[in-house]
Amino acid sequence: MQVYSIPKSIKKDSKFTFCKGCDHGVAIKLIAEIIDELNLKDDTIAVSSSGCSVLLYNFLDVDCLEAPHGRACAVATGIKRAHKARKDDKFVFTYQGDGDFASIGLGESMHSALRGENITAICINNTNYGMTGGQMGPTSTMGQYTTTSPLGRNKEYHGFPIKTAEQIALCDGTQFSARVALYDIKNILRAKKIIKKAFECQKNNKGFSFVEILSSCPTNWKLSPQDSHTKIKDELTKIYPLDIFKDTTND
Amino acid sequence: MSEKNLLKGNIAIAKAALNCGCSCYFGYPITPQTDIGEYLSLEMQKRNLAYVCAESEIGAINMALGAASSGEKVMTSSSSCAVALMQETLSYASSDELPVVLVNVMRAGPGQGYIFPSQGDYNQATIGGGNGDYKIIVLSPSSVQECIDLTYKSFYLAQKYRNPTILLVDGLLGQMAEPAIINENPYPDVDNSSWRLDGAKNRASRNIHSLEPNQTKLNQHVVKLYQKYQEIEKNEQVWEEYLCDDAEIILTAFGTMARSVKAVCNHFRQLGIKMGVFRPISLYPFPYNRLRELSIKAKCFIDIEMNMGQMLKDVRLGVLSNAHISFIGKPVGDWLKKEEIINAINNIIKEQYASI
Repeated sequence: MQVYSIPKSIKKDSKFTFCKGCDHGVAIKLIAEIIDELNLKDDTIAVSSSGCSVLLYNFLDVDCLEAPHGRACAVATGIKRAHKARKDDKFVFTYQGDGDFASIGLGESMHSALRGENITAICINNTNYGMTGGQMGPTSTMGQYTTTSPLGRNKEYHGFPIKTAEQIALCDGTQFSARVALYDIKNILRAKKIIKKAFECQKNNKGFSFVEILSSCPTNWKLSPQDSHTKIKDELTKIYPLDIFKDTTND
Repeated sequence: MSEKNLLKGNIAIAKAALNCGCSCYFGYPITPQTDIGEYLSLEMQKRNLAYVCAESEIGAINMALGAASSGEKVMTSSSSCAVALMQETLSYASSDELPVVLVNVMRAGPGQGYIFPSQGDYNQATIGGGNGDYKIIVLSPSSVQECIDLTYKSFYLAQKYRNPTILLVDGLLGQMAEPAIINENPYPDVDNSSWRLDGAKNRASRNIHSLEPNQTKLNQHVVKLYQKYQEIEKNEQVWEEYLCDDAEIILTAFGTMARSVKAVCNHFRQLGIKMGVFRPISLYPFPYNRLRELSIKAKCFIDIEMNMGQMLKDVRLGVLSNAHISFIGKPVGDWLKKEEIINAINNIIKEQYASI
């Protein structure tokens, strides 16, 4: 009896190149499973971004365009609208980090939500700029030590982090906004359910859907994979609560 | 619509874009090009095409990048300081080989400058402000009719070479009305089924990206781009010449400037001076080949621009003989008048011919 197989939408023979204990691999696998379950593989165009999330196209077996840093939601808007103009609707989602989505790209991200673009944005929040070696990002928490906040994030000196899923939920064009985590099986299953709901939101032409995924970054946090997940469970979820902040998909 | 109508340059561009099948427009307001977006907003909505009032020029050019990956004909338009904001994505579009058409209706001056007439974006368009080794096709109209013809050509060349293309328009021309015909688009559609992203149905998935962590592959990619640029340089040099065959003095000018320069040429011809006008229409690829031929006979080149001498360096690169090269120009404001140019040329001739 086969109990597990690699999703069809994961490229054959691909090996994740992410750091040990990084949650990107789990997130991409969940997305691949959902694409399979919703039968979207032939109709999907993914938009990857800059940072660790750019590597999406190495693993996911769907058409993919890389966006300049921060511009994934604008690029996805163009893709979605162009296919609509040729009367051949496609499923379009972005895969971005928190620096990409909520710092350099906040304008493009939020305006896509405000316009109610019928796309889905996935944001991996690991509270730092991972690929460049762990600098302070828009989501670095108060007191967090990073290579550019060596004395810890300080409200007087550095200012405050952004609660992305809550902010995006405030946009009228947003139909679904939620935060999930991947630190244990229960949360991985919950994450899958919620990402699926976000994808279905687009499939049903409802409008902008968004999922923020709290993810580990053991290399830059200088913690073991296990301690990284404990940190997410015990610390990060207190600051970034796991919740659905807006859901009008049943309205 | 094959009759002559009084048309503004900007509106002519918008109409020509629609006429040749542009299905996606993304833009942000900036004078003096705003009426392109205003015109298209209604026309595209009526036809259920893609039109987005973008949050910024950065948003607009990135929407264009995404839309171009579908294979649709895609356009954005902007001006000078806002085109500066788009340079990053032009570099991406070049590397990704995505056919984005960008119309730049020029303002004047560095920084915000102002909406006075100027041709100050020759360098921005032909050299570019993006990173890395890349080239963008640049076409420059000098009449409203040519705004139409070169809009068609911009879409065609962008698709044919899978390369971003800039239509570089003087603000003067964008805002000027003259009789023109919206003729049929003479160019064929280019098959893009081998590369466009439209879902991996019955084929392997495709990805379009500029990131390349393997240095051999990145080298190969840039070399391949340059092979394409060589093709473009071989095939697409376009210019207009006026009375150049026997000319000893050749005036060079691009865009609207060439119109008054022709009148200047007529003035000197009546005085018996063998003068001609050479007008590059493709600014990249610059028509070096013909300029080289002309420089064998001509003794003197006078480059005339509404800027401080940006095309001048290309004229210098093109002229292979010992012919003398001078420059007449001003950066901003009222177009150089015929009389001003004539006086300046008289001074140059006096100096030059006195020394010969």
